[in-house]
Amino acid sequence: MNAELEPWKERIDAALRSAGSADPAPGLEGRILTRLAAERAAMEAHPARMGWFARMPRYSAPVLGVATASLVCAVIIVGSVDHSRVRHPGHVAPPVLVLPGHGLGAASAVHPAEPATAPVAAGPASRGRSVRHFSHPRARIAPNAKKATGVAVPAPTTNPQ
Amino acid sequence: MSCLETQLAGWAAPAPVANALETNESTSQTIAALVAEYSTALYRVAFSVTRNAAEAEDAVQETFLRVLKHQARLGEIRDYRVWLVRIVWNIVLDRKRRAKTRPENEDLADHARVLPSGEPGADQTAISSQEYARILALVDRLPRREREAILLSAVEELTTAEIASVLATTESSIRSRIFRARRELSALLEKEGISR
Repeated sequence: MNAELEPWKERIDAALRSAGSADPAPGLEGRILTRLAAERAAMEAHPARMGWFARMPRYSAPVLGVATASLVCAVIIVGSVDHSRVRHPGHVAPPVLVLPGHGLGAASAVHPAEPATAPVAAGPASRGRSVRHFSHPRARIAPNAKKATGVAVPAPTTNPQ
Repeated sequence: MSCLETQLAGWAAPAPVANALETNESTSQTIAALVAEYSTALYRVAFSVTRNAAEAEDAVQETFLRVLKHQARLGEIRDYRVWLVRIVWNIVLDRKRRAKTRPENEDLADHARVLPSGEPGADQTAISSQEYARILALVDRLPRREREAILLSAVEELTTAEIASVLATTESSIRSRIFRARRELSALLEKEGISR
């Protein structure tokens, strides 16, 4: 890669040096100071409109900023609350939840029902459930399980013994 | 006057006049010292971009005018050189952006004037300055990051660390940008058919 650069290196360096080592015309400092003096005189003669702001102590600008931001936030909150009151005038009674005399909680309040007294049997169209045999802890599909038509399920396992 | 107004008036109270005058005087001296120490380096930074003596000088003057306007911040500056270079760099880039075009008023006499002493003759000087102008024109075609890094690296007074501060990046990034810039510049020179 350096071999690529090598033929041009000196020329590039020389060109960059010509741009980066330029000497200003004599008297640059004097011209700058003269212009600065003129500018300073103009600033003193006609102080800027925001001069009072520039003369403020350093910490006052952030304080004023925070105060302004707080004021804006307060206005926004008050405005939104007022707006809500206008859109929903008057008092609307909240929904009342009537709990039954018996039941186990909110679910029974929404769907009041007597608790089941016996296990619910599976319907004829329900899918087969696995039956756990304690002698063979592996789950097996009961031979008489009902299957929905069109659903591929493995054949019932039978004990060859 | 309300309580809030009283407090605001207290916060907004200006510094004592005597103190302000003293500060002004020392600030003027500080600015004069900055002009004496850094004006040449700033001129070189500006010239590396504008390649025009008048524009470069104008940019340097503008830099110190900005310093004067923000003289209250002088006490906060840790590295004046980097701070000033960043100001003049922004000024020249901003002007270049506004101009939209590359410097049409590029002055070959400026190049000739800054060539190292010991050049053989006027003809040779003219040829060299034209060639340098062509190479610097190719620098302008480099991607922004590479161009900025290589132009600032051309200014002798600036170290890699200072260039990194001005461009708000790391030294290693600056080194790799300069390397890429040189490589691409070589490729462009080859493509342009400039004789070796």
